[in-house]
Amino acid sequence: MARRHPKKTSNSPEPRTRRHHQRKDNEAVAEKPKTASSKRWLKAVEKMAASVCRVGSTVGRALTKARSPILLSLRRGQATVTYAQSLLGAPETCLTTLDNGLRIASEETGHGTCTVGLWISCGSRYETEKNNGAGFFLEHMAFKGTKKHPQMALEHQVESMGAHLSAYTSREHTAYYMKTLAKDLPKAVALLSEVLQSNVLSEADIEQQRSVVLKELEEVEGSLQDVCLDLLHATAFQGTPLGHSVLGPSQNARTLSRQDLVDFISSHYKAPRMVLAAAGGVTHEELVGLAKQHFSGVSFEYEDDAVPVLSPCRFSGSEIRMRDDDMPLAHIAIAVEGASAASPDIVPLMVANSIIGSYDITFGGGKHLSSRLARLASEESLCHSFQAFHSSYSDTGLLGIYFVTDKHHIDDMMHWSQNAWMNLCTTVTESDIARAKNALKASLVGQLNGTTPICDDIGRHVLNYGRRIPLAEWDARINAVTPKMVRDICSKYIYDKCPAVSAVGPIEQLPDYNRMRSAMYWLRF
Amino acid sequence: MLSLAARSGALSPYLQATNVAVNGSLKALHPGAVKGNSLLKSSSQKTPAISACVSAPGGIRMAHTDIKVPDFSDYRRPELLDPKKSSQESSESRKTFSYLVTGATAVVGVYTAKTVATQFISSMSASADVLAMSKIEVKLGEIPEGKNMTFKWRGKPLFIRHRTEKEIATEEAVDMAMLRDPQHDKDRVANPKWIIVIGVCTHLGCVPIANAGDYGGYYCPCHGSHYDASGRIRKGPAPLNLEVPYYEFPDDDTVVVG
Repeated sequence: MARRHPKKTSNSPEPRTRRHHQRKDNEAVAEKPKTASSKRWLKAVEKMAASVCRVGSTVGRALTKARSPILLSLRRGQATVTYAQSLLGAPETCLTTLDNGLRIASEETGHGTCTVGLWISCGSRYETEKNNGAGFFLEHMAFKGTKKHPQMALEHQVESMGAHLSAYTSREHTAYYMKTLAKDLPKAVALLSEVLQSNVLSEADIEQQRSVVLKELEEVEGSLQDVCLDLLHATAFQGTPLGHSVLGPSQNARTLSRQDLVDFISSHYKAPRMVLAAAGGVTHEELVGLAKQHFSGVSFEYEDDAVPVLSPCRFSGSEIRMRDDDMPLAHIAIAVEGASAASPDIVPLMVANSIIGSYDITFGGGKHLSSRLARLASEESLCHSFQAFHSSYSDTGLLGIYFVTDKHHIDDMMHWSQNAWMNLCTTVTESDIARAKNALKASLVGQLNGTTPICDDIGRHVLNYGRRIPLAEWDARINAVTPKMVRDICSKYIYDKCPAVSAVGPIEQLPDYNRMRSAMYWLRF
Repeated sequence: MLSLAARSGALSPYLQATNVAVNGSLKALHPGAVKGNSLLKSSSQKTPAISACVSAPGGIRMAHTDIKVPDFSDYRRPELLDPKKSSQESSESRKTFSYLVTGATAVVGVYTAKTVATQFISSMSASADVLAMSKIEVKLGEIPEGKNMTFKWRGKPLFIRHRTEKEIATEEAVDMAMLRDPQHDKDRVANPKWIIVIGVCTHLGCVPIANAGDYGGYYCPCHGSHYDASGRIRKGPAPLNLEVPYYEFPDDDTVVVG
């Protein structure tokens, strides 16, 4: 089943499917998106960390004043490494390239477990109208058995290690990865190479998976956040490959053949577009050795020398409204064209998004929440939840706000969201920036809480930037952001630009597009 | 803009067929959708989040990924026709063009609105025949010296008197201190040969009689006000001199009053 998961590093709910290897069952189990709970957890951690710091510092000050030797030694039990020191002390990510262009990157964190996987720069953006959904279909076929290990044997191998084998597909990236004990790294890499290179793709399995894919397409209609954001991409990037959904249309799910999948693999799974990433208790040399052993055979040549080149995707300010008055809540997203992943404007835009922040009706802050939009949402009951997001791709992006509200507050919520954008362009102050920077740093650090998020981070960074950007560098870039920078950059992307809007549910109250377009500038300026 | 109303009143019984198909019966309205219905059957336990599907020729839409955004190339500006070109480069020029056209139209619109409004409002002002009545043109050649002629002008009597040299000299020599309403003759006439006054007594509004009274001018019979040849009050109850209207001499022989 598909599980949608917010791409937290760049503050965006980038859509991706998720596939997990299961014990008994052929089909993967649906998992609820963890958005709300992980946000709550992060907030709780933040609050705890803040209170611990405060207690620690007051106690420390009191004790040093007292100058009692016993009490001073008590203080030594508390954390002595500062935030800056911990950033600089983080282990380095090593990067090697094989002869065929495959890159290997790993971070040795000293955990007893590790996550290792292949990140491929291939996704729905590389698909055409005819084979849109091939990547998603392939993900379904991934764990159905290889030439060496038929399905039962593959499952047995994985389960006996106690490992998790997963995969996801997004618009520009595909990943197959395994979470296992650090000592099982060789077996994990071997299995991954088999899954990738010698997948059987039997006709019987393909036919069987067809109905599973169709069922999954039906079930994803229940996840309205994904529906809304998919429609947003479809309208914002209409006529371009970025408008394709990862899942593909149902017609393709019914007609994709084995040959289509084989062609897809042979045209996109090439070594220069792959990264073998690992994080945990792994050494880089061991990983490189394993990669040389298993992945040297990955081809780097294209048939007819037809190297797929990504052409730019045109953004169209437009809207798509899927109205159904029987739904209880309306899901609405408004976005403008944002910055690409490698653009220097990314960090100021992330800070800007942290100023707007996110909100859920379960937040307990009420009128003391720091984001102005969240305060309004709480006091006027404007919405059930909202989040500011920024999905960035290799040469473009979507910077927007997504909110869920009932049918009587859509107009107000839209007005205040666009008001928040206008404030970003005109009235951002030093205190807003200071708060946003701290929130952003905390979220960046907090997301890397385990070998899998770290491995994912490594894989995506190497594909996007060619190297892993360490936390210390993110920190430095965040510190360099000033209010004027945020105002200028937000004006560049938001002020007087045509937005793309997508809305699902009881959306009668959603204003006309021309009115939403008029709210993208202020006549007072 | 793409609007899909998932609930359409007239079609709902037919659209209901797809939901009914969940329980097994298949209406002939959707011949091309056998596969779709069989899958819907298997999901009979779960109600789809979108409660009605739109029937398209050839099949029933099952997923939001089947929604095809139409091709709007017929309506796009030329610089946006290529989907492989970023829209950022042309955004400045497109906005400038739109705002210029809007601004120019707004200015033109304001002037048009002002013109239309003034035309409607000014229709309530005096009409041409009324305005024509407000002026009177008199041929001065017909008035002999020493004679006073009365005309009806704006509903009031208008006295035009052709003064003799003697009368002019007399009036100019009058001492201001003796007058109730001091005004020199120069200030009351444009051309001393002609005195043009409104023949309404300033006391209570009667019409004075010309060439009567003790001062060689006018005499009001109602209460005995005497005016001189310049229309100034000399004796009697009237407080002010006879009113002098606005007049012009377009040529020596004509005067236009009003």
